[in-house]
Amino acid sequence: MNKLAWLMCGVVTVGCGGRPSGWDTPYTPASGQNGLSAAYGLTGSVAVLDPSLGRVTLLSSPAQLKLESRSIGLGKNLVAARASDDRKTLFALSRGVQPQRTPSDERPQLLLIDGGLTPKVSRAYTLTEPMAQLVLDPQNEWAVVYGGDGVVVNLNELVLVNLRQTGEDALSSKTLLSFGGSPRRFTFTTPLSVPGGDPRRFLIVERDSDLVLIDLASPSRDAVTIPLPSADNGGTASLAQVVYDAASASIAVRVTGSTSVLLLQLAAPTTRGEDYSVVPNLVDVGGQPAALDFVHNSQGLRLVALVGSNAVLVEPETATTQSVQMPAAFTGIRRITAELEPAGDGDVALLYGANVSKIAYFNLSGAPGALYRSIEPYDIGVSVKEVIDVPGEKFFDHKILQTPNQQFYVLDLHTRESAPMKTNGALSLEVAPDGERVWAYSSGQFGFASVDFASLHPVSLIAERQVSNVFDIESGSGQRTAIALHLGAWEGTGIGATVLDALSPSTAYARFYSGLELGGVK
Amino acid sequence: MRRSFYRSLVLLGASLSLALAASSAHAEPLAPHQPHLQASLGLRVSKVPDAGYDVFSNSDELAQLSLGLAGTLWRHQRFSLAAAGFWDYGQKGSNVRGSNTDLVVHRLTIGPEARYHLLPPLYLFVHVLPAFAHSSASLEDGVAQVSRYARHWSYGLDASAGAAFEVYGARSGESFRTRLWAMAEGGYGYLGSTSLELSPDAGQGPQRPAPVDLGSLSLAGPYFRVSAAVGF
Repeated sequence: MNKLAWLMCGVVTVGCGGRPSGWDTPYTPASGQNGLSAAYGLTGSVAVLDPSLGRVTLLSSPAQLKLESRSIGLGKNLVAARASDDRKTLFALSRGVQPQRTPSDERPQLLLIDGGLTPKVSRAYTLTEPMAQLVLDPQNEWAVVYGGDGVVVNLNELVLVNLRQTGEDALSSKTLLSFGGSPRRFTFTTPLSVPGGDPRRFLIVERDSDLVLIDLASPSRDAVTIPLPSADNGGTASLAQVVYDAASASIAVRVTGSTSVLLLQLAAPTTRGEDYSVVPNLVDVGGQPAALDFVHNSQGLRLVALVGSNAVLVEPETATTQSVQMPAAFTGIRRITAELEPAGDGDVALLYGANVSKIAYFNLSGAPGALYRSIEPYDIGVSVKEVIDVPGEKFFDHKILQTPNQQFYVLDLHTRESAPMKTNGALSLEVAPDGERVWAYSSGQFGFASVDFASLHPVSLIAERQVSNVFDIESGSGQRTAIALHLGAWEGTGIGATVLDALSPSTAYARFYSGLELGGVK
Repeated sequence: MRRSFYRSLVLLGASLSLALAASSAHAEPLAPHQPHLQASLGLRVSKVPDAGYDVFSNSDELAQLSLGLAGTLWRHQRFSLAAAGFWDYGQKGSNVRGSNTDLVVHRLTIGPEARYHLLPPLYLFVHVLPAFAHSSASLEDGVAQVSRYARHWSYGLDASAGAAFEVYGARSGESFRTRLWAMAEGGYGYLGSTSLELSPDAGQGPQRPAPVDLGSLSLAGPYFRVSAAVGF
């Protein structure tokens, strides 16, 4: 009967036609590996990657509890995607058609998508060669793409993308001189006040055995490569942490297996043709430091190194050190001066650790001889894995302390009160971009919750399907919308979402959306 | 069925040639061959180029079982006018991005059919039939774990022309002797678009489910129908 039908079809028309191949391509959420997450929260939309169709489905909320989806092609062979720090833009790096067979084959590209209420492609940069890694500047001025899997790959070739420019002019290729390593981590500095010139931003490239300084004011100029010191046992040290101080143009480098800290002072040029010079200095801090940061006390700039149960303050110019006993072996330090705006002329830092059940406030505005009195410990009963900032202006003086287990703390830096929050499963936290609440969820579970920073009142919610992510976005009505995604990794395949009013979340009013992967199939 | 179809096509072609050559050279009375009542069973294949149909099929064809009934109302020499009606039933299923879909279409057409006998055992016909269709589209929603439906009536018009050849019957028998006809027709079937907003049945699936909006579906397109009919 089927053959007869086809024969008749041929009689009726020249052919029966087909359908776009996208219909026959199942949706599979990105695994979170290889630089691709299943979904990204943006300011006015949630971007759900659809790698099998080489596109992103953007979910936005034009009105309360409404959800709108639109799909944007990201290019063939998507390899990396990142949301900008301000969540306004999604960056997508694709390899294009490889190998290229015709001039019209799609080229490798870096695509920028505006993640506002009406998502759209804002810019595209065409690359000459396929790259695999993407790094973004927190200030959205630069992007770096590098790495690849061609027949020959220069591991130290970076393509710097100047995001303030468009077209080919925005791209500059740079090969870093190497002593055998390849790029591991990147740090974009704020403008450093280098003597003898205007403040300039640097890109610090951390490699296996050295670090490279690229002057972003003139990226075509030669980069400066600084070899790392050896470990104390004579072996090779690897780079563990880089911190900098913008006002003094100082950089400090912590390496593994060494009691020394490498201090780099950017100074005025010493020879013709240079824009700046680098003065290195190796400072022994008396033990292997767990963390570094620059702080200011009443006497000026100091580098704090957390060494065992001591905080060692290093004066960068003279390399003199001063040690102060801490109440615990803290392994993390975070400056909180801007949040507290203290009356004194020194910084305040929050000390924490993954192996201690205390936190401490380290106030550096006191007299230099009374440092032991400047550390104010609080026993919170759990260790702290990570300190999460709260954006916005209303609760910027709050921090979220994420613990290695199923708890998190909301810490009010002004009152120094901490509110412990216990969860009943593994924990993922999503701070709302407006900085007024945090969402807690466990991927694969039905339950999720919102904690409002004003009241610290948790609202527990049980979705009707398993939740993979929760995002808090701006809606068209000027309100906030919470989107709990159901990406079908457990039952069925597809993109679904429970949509709630983020300011007054309740599953009694939530709306359920699904089949979102079926829109715009071509 | 395939053998019968090929045989019908050959016979139809041969008959048309004969008719052109000898249309006036038969002594056989025409009237007994003009069917008074006719019931048919056949296959209708439509080409549905609408993008909405892609959800339910990986090709554009829609095959339907076709049942027909016709009765002659008026005769004058080689011409006759009949009332004809068809019920076409078809089902098509597919899988889109991992979700099963299904489309069930009932189409009812009824209206006048004009016939012209070239030869006693061969007549040509045209008909223009108002159409009423009911479509039931469904989607197995794996995330919501529920079946979603879009059920709609739509209206349109079928216009086609064809030929019928008497493959069995008394050569000069009485008017009410049973005769077997092979019929073939082609034309265009128009139907209005219907929405493909698929929702679960009341009380099914998650609370307050928003419909899955897959656009619209139009089943309009050219079609071809072959059938076998019993007439007397």
